[in-house]
Amino acid sequence: MSTTKLVAAALAIMVASFFMPAHPVVAAERTVKIAAWGAKSGPLRSFGVNSEAVLKGAMKAINDSGGVKLGDGTMAKMEFTYYDSACNADQAISIARKVESQTQALVGIGPTCSGAAAAMYGIFQKKVDDKSDTGLQFPILTDTAIRPGLAKKSQWTFRNVPNEITMYDALFKWLRSKYPDVKTIYGGTETDQAHSRITFAAVIVQKAKKYGFEWVGGGIEGVTGKVIKGMKNVLKVSKSSNWLLADTNFSVQARAFKRSGADMMIISSHPFTTCGMLKELRRQRIKPKVLVGLTSSSSAETLKGCSAAAEGIYIPTGFAPITPAAAKVAAAAAANGGAADLHSAAAWENAHIIKQVVEATGVMAKPGTLKADRRKVRDGLEALAKVNGLMGEIGRVQDEGESIKPYVFVQAQKGAWKVVHDPR
Amino acid sequence: MSDLALEFIEVTQTIGDGLFFGTTYALIGVGFTLIFGAMGKLNMTYAAAALAGAYAGLAAFTFVNAPAPVVFLISALASGLLGGVVYVTCFRFIPINNHLAALMASIGALFFIDEIVVHTTDGSPLTFPALFDDVMFDVGPFGIRGDLLFVLAVNIAGTIGLLYVLYRTRLGLATRAVSQQDVAARLCGIDVHRTNFITFVLAGLLGGIAGSMTASAVGVLSPLITVPLTVKGLIVSVIGGLGSIPGAIAAGLLVGGLENVFLYFRGVNERDMYVLLLLFVFLVFRPHGIFGSAIERD
Repeated sequence: MSTTKLVAAALAIMVASFFMPAHPVVAAERTVKIAAWGAKSGPLRSFGVNSEAVLKGAMKAINDSGGVKLGDGTMAKMEFTYYDSACNADQAISIARKVESQTQALVGIGPTCSGAAAAMYGIFQKKVDDKSDTGLQFPILTDTAIRPGLAKKSQWTFRNVPNEITMYDALFKWLRSKYPDVKTIYGGTETDQAHSRITFAAVIVQKAKKYGFEWVGGGIEGVTGKVIKGMKNVLKVSKSSNWLLADTNFSVQARAFKRSGADMMIISSHPFTTCGMLKELRRQRIKPKVLVGLTSSSSAETLKGCSAAAEGIYIPTGFAPITPAAAKVAAAAAANGGAADLHSAAAWENAHIIKQVVEATGVMAKPGTLKADRRKVRDGLEALAKVNGLMGEIGRVQDEGESIKPYVFVQAQKGAWKVVHDPR
Repeated sequence: MSDLALEFIEVTQTIGDGLFFGTTYALIGVGFTLIFGAMGKLNMTYAAAALAGAYAGLAAFTFVNAPAPVVFLISALASGLLGGVVYVTCFRFIPINNHLAALMASIGALFFIDEIVVHTTDGSPLTFPALFDDVMFDVGPFGIRGDLLFVLAVNIAGTIGLLYVLYRTRLGLATRAVSQQDVAARLCGIDVHRTNFITFVLAGLLGGIAGSMTASAVGVLSPLITVPLTVKGLIVSVIGGLGSIPGAIAAGLLVGGLENVFLYFRGVNERDMYVLLLLFVFLVFRPHGIFGSAIERD
């Protein structure tokens, strides 16, 4: 064979192989694909690690029990791919666009940070079937980003996160009855974290006021006990007692706490600065009658960082391993190298909610039905009124895409979170 | 006590706390300035390596329950080692006059080291051992934290040790010679690369002390503080005068004190703005910093 023929044959084989499928054509096993994303790099990596670990456990549990029943009766496996959005709005948006346009994922789970979620939700179609809106048409069921009121940005975005307004309302009501002699409050927050700041200034202080806990010095102008009312003034009066997420020196803030002489002190921040602040309070021998923290700090990170200083702090949370199902998830998360907490445990519930929706809406999970399947999942999520969660029944606010989750109040006691009140 | 007297006590205490904490900034600033003085280049990995060293010390504490002094020592040694690695990977083989390449390489290494820490610890805050954590000295109406006094003492000892090496040893002589005129130093038989390597290790040792002291002062270690500490180190070394060790010390204390004052009077949202304004003022009106030399490097 001449060299020319050899080259031509080689080229023909290369061209043919390029157009051939990588694997022999067999009856492809159908799968329900999920895309998940959260912080897997950067300082908030633990959130992504925990969510991924819980999701892995959920997938295994679902697949071990036979998988998901599709619209034609076929049983399909469920699988997920976890992307790293690093608590970054740009990355979260890029992943959402990529997943929607380049993958067969039916639904997304994530992201970690409220700031990233708020920006990301903005690129989704606001109203379903609005032809003038070219936003993404891809359902999202967020597990972690918790800042109140985000999911209503789009009819494609849903969340399964604790409702902080309800939880803090119940917490202060309970604290009122438990500590009738406590009159005054004081607190601080990390102002560069939207979740910490908004929950502190728009929810916590208002709910405290509602149940008769007054900010030291006669209250704050405009704060009436209603959510958001007087929020700007809250941040103004607490300006010297606030801090930033990466701060390392809390002496000025702790002294502001000390000067206040408040009966109840509130630390609305994530574990790193919660620990920094708690340690500084301890150094300055500040011992309030009651200490209240932010939901996000009811995690293993806080206990890893400062269990002794955190002793006694009360936090409302949507997860504690107090039911058999929750205990099972905690064990599954640990087996997969993570921890189940109020954020990550929702990933388990989300996987099961998606299974429930896929089975209820007759999703086909075929390449040709992707768009229709995504729409079915969205409609199914919207139609959900109630689902079973790890701590009990989860209610849904359909028109806002939000959830109403059961919750408990935990307190740091001897290096562990103990449930001190269970209003379920 | 009158309101004015209470305010005076409060402001004095605020400044005092800031000055104490500023010693950690000073030590980070000294590290930046030491390397800049030797090579005329900024080592952006410095704070990241300092904290990575602190993590190595923390590992000793976690896994073998090493006592706090051993933790600090391991932190310094690990950071010194990392300093040497950073020199070899980011500076050694990049031409001396290619400042941008070395800068970019060290920025890349900063994020690389930080991500290694993040992936190893999952970014969780971890308790860092502190000496005299619960000790508080009451001096009249003022309170002085025992652990910050210890940090101050260690930082002073570290700085004195560094100055001794620089001004009383052959290695220091070589370092200063290379920083002033590397070609002349080479002609005098000084191995420039070896001297630079040792300078990086030396600065790393200092960084390890600063990293562990910062972690010790907070009581918690988290990768969250890498970038802010890098920025603080840069601000301090610029305000102090790049290349000036006394300048870095003075600027570290100045930034620490003023930060607290701004926080006290204007709140946390404006605090960093004023610190950056201070940097801007120095860059415009005194670009050579507090003690920096106006004479250009050869």
